[in-house]
Amino acid sequence: MPNVRPVAATPTAQPPRSGTVPTTRRRRTITLLVLALVALGLFLVSPFLGTVSIPFETVLRITLEKISGGALFPQPCTGSSGPSSTLCQAYQLIIWDERLPEILLAVLAGAALGMSGGALQGLFRNPLADPFLLGLSSGGTLGASAVFVFGVGQSEAYLALPIFAFLGAIGTGLLILGMASTRYGSVETLLLTGVAIANILGAALALVLLYNPTASIQVSFWLLGGLGQGTWSTDGIVFGVLLIGGTLLAVHGPELNLIQLGNDVAQSAGVDPRQIRIRVLLLTSVLTAVAVAFTGVIGFVGLVAPHVVRRVVGSDYRWVLPGSAIVGALFLLSARDVSLLIFPSSVLPIGIFTAFAGAPFFLYLLYRQRNRTTMGGS
Amino acid sequence: MTHPSAAPAVRLRNITVRYGARTALHEVSLNVIPGEFVALAGPNGSGKTTLIRSVLGFLEPSEGSIELFGRPLSGLSVRDRARQVAWVPQEEAPRDNVPLEEYILYGRYPFHRALEGETTEDRRIARDLLRALDLEDRAADGILSLSGGERQRAVLGRALAQSAPLLLLDEPTSHLDIGHQLDLLSRVRELAHRDGVTVIAALHDLNLAAQFADRIVVLSRGRCHADGPPSKILTEALLAHVWGVIAERRIEPRTGRPYLIPRRLLAESSTAVGTDAFGPIHVVGGGGAASPYLRALVDEGFEVSAGILHLLDSDAETAEALGIPATVEVPFAPISPAVRERHRALLSQARAIVVTPFAVGPSNLANLEDLGARSAHVPIFLVTGPSIETRDFTQGVATRLVRELEAGGARSVGGIEELLRELRALAARAVPAGAAGPDRGAP
Repeated sequence: MPNVRPVAATPTAQPPRSGTVPTTRRRRTITLLVLALVALGLFLVSPFLGTVSIPFETVLRITLEKISGGALFPQPCTGSSGPSSTLCQAYQLIIWDERLPEILLAVLAGAALGMSGGALQGLFRNPLADPFLLGLSSGGTLGASAVFVFGVGQSEAYLALPIFAFLGAIGTGLLILGMASTRYGSVETLLLTGVAIANILGAALALVLLYNPTASIQVSFWLLGGLGQGTWSTDGIVFGVLLIGGTLLAVHGPELNLIQLGNDVAQSAGVDPRQIRIRVLLLTSVLTAVAVAFTGVIGFVGLVAPHVVRRVVGSDYRWVLPGSAIVGALFLLSARDVSLLIFPSSVLPIGIFTAFAGAPFFLYLLYRQRNRTTMGGS
Repeated sequence: MTHPSAAPAVRLRNITVRYGARTALHEVSLNVIPGEFVALAGPNGSGKTTLIRSVLGFLEPSEGSIELFGRPLSGLSVRDRARQVAWVPQEEAPRDNVPLEEYILYGRYPFHRALEGETTEDRRIARDLLRALDLEDRAADGILSLSGGERQRAVLGRALAQSAPLLLLDEPTSHLDIGHQLDLLSRVRELAHRDGVTVIAALHDLNLAAQFADRIVVLSRGRCHADGPPSKILTEALLAHVWGVIAERRIEPRTGRPYLIPRRLLAESSTAVGTDAFGPIHVVGGGGAASPYLRALVDEGFEVSAGILHLLDSDAETAEALGIPATVEVPFAPISPAVRERHRALLSQARAIVVTPFAVGPSNLANLEDLGARSAHVPIFLVTGPSIETRDFTQGVATRLVRELEAGGARSVGGIEELLRELRALAARAVPAGAAGPDRGAP
């Protein structure tokens, strides 16, 4: 019927918003840069905090001496109020071999967990998805508990623990992936598969610990998570994995954006949802496994970070993925620092703190305003 | 190998699609030429969506093959498919409040290489589409803030951004009000025409299909039931057969396209006990007088015959639509001996005869003349209406015949409800006694 005239568009009451796309893009870039700068600032402040109180100037001198390879401050402890040389050596050990690797581990593990959470929430189109819901951490814990149960000696444990934890976590990821590729079910099926596997692993762990009471204490500490295993070499491993895995994961923003419209729409627009599912699950398994291997179970980072990022940069996964890495790092680092500020003399397992601080913060985000940009749907 | 431009946009060769044990499409073949607007029609569950999902590559036919522009669909990667065919689903439910322009740009994904963002060309295409869809001033707004009509236009924009030569729409208007239905489909047709895009749209609304499509393909129970231009496809008989709906067909005078006014459901089973086994009821009419009675009797489950009707008469069309056996004569001609003989055969098989208040003229007087011979054998019901004198155009012959029928025991009934009551009672008395059988002659 050629006489039909298109019905006029619904009149828009509000004037067109000034924020065109290029400026929101600029705004997003600035937001992420600001977050990165805050993380960097926190990173620089962190070495001054610790269970042992070390003078500000000494921390600075020791750090700069090490970083510059001795070119600056060749005798870091010879200030006006310099400590004795034995004390100085202890300080050097504490700062260079403990604090800095710990801080770096917090940044790296936080980034790995944060980005994994962002990618999984996108893949499953579910705001609750995170590496722990899928059972990746349970797998890691089971792997770690094997080390405790079989009573590997203290010296070998440092090597065996991360290896077994990594294998446990990655094994769980591969198991879920295997089940996902045999039958191309819905994302809900896949998510529930992960939840079921997590529960089976949890039950298996409980059974193992029931018969090995001594191991259960070690495992329960491991379950609380900690940065104590951080050394320069562990940091190197985590950094390498994060650099490669994180980069490969971060480029999946456009695909995850389309998957938000449903797998069918994504497929009609050129995304192969099956392929993306395999890639994202594989990469998040590797990233989570390496974090879990060295830090134990640190909850809430993967869950909270993407929600925070969506609040500030919107729901575009090209920004959510790198943003979640930055916010995850920021979150874990500030958890470490704040716990040291509150309890300066004790090493609180960081998993306790992320849950205590993260959960209320998460609730605050949820109830502050029901804004649908934070996956309010469903 | 045929030249690509000569190849059909879509070619389905005998495709069969199964969901487990259920066959959703059964050996369907279809050729769509480039630039055509094809509407897929058919009741729920007839296979429209399955056909569309098969062309998109979401479902793989267990038999047969699908080609897009001469290339086998199974040989195309997901990305290549997206450059050939775009899809507008029934309803897309975005979760996130993505700014509209970025949402449109999602459609450009199949043209991006790895790590490559949007190009200025992509942005130009998105801007063009926003302008063509009258969404320009909403470009920066989140898609969740759009109204239903605007959102479906946005979905169309996202699909069109794929610059694919084939556009599939799966009941795109089913959540829209009538104004937005017209709006969306006229935009689809306009943009498809502008860019030479081939369109296949599953449409529930047959009148919309007739209005916009060059061609309608009717699916029924997974098979291709009819295929052709709207003027040929849209008939009362089609609606009765495929949808089980009794409708009236009219022609839109300005466009010459047909449209249908659905009236009522064609009951599949009888509502009253025994009506289907009772035997045929013959209805005498013409000029539309019989139509309501034919429909009511069919609805009630009775076997019905009709006559003698003239071709193009609305009663004749109703009888055809309902699949009622009827004797039909050419228009305005006196009734020929052969037709009259066939009519007598129908009359002799009838278990009851209904005479509707039709206008009697010389050409259809035979309708009344042959009734007298049956009045001794079967009940005759005369439906009261305008008195016979006012519709007698035979110088009193018709009036005399009616009076004779009355004298011979024909009963007057006041309308459809009364007639049905009488016939139900008749059927209830006859059927339990085992009267209904192959012998349908006089009792």
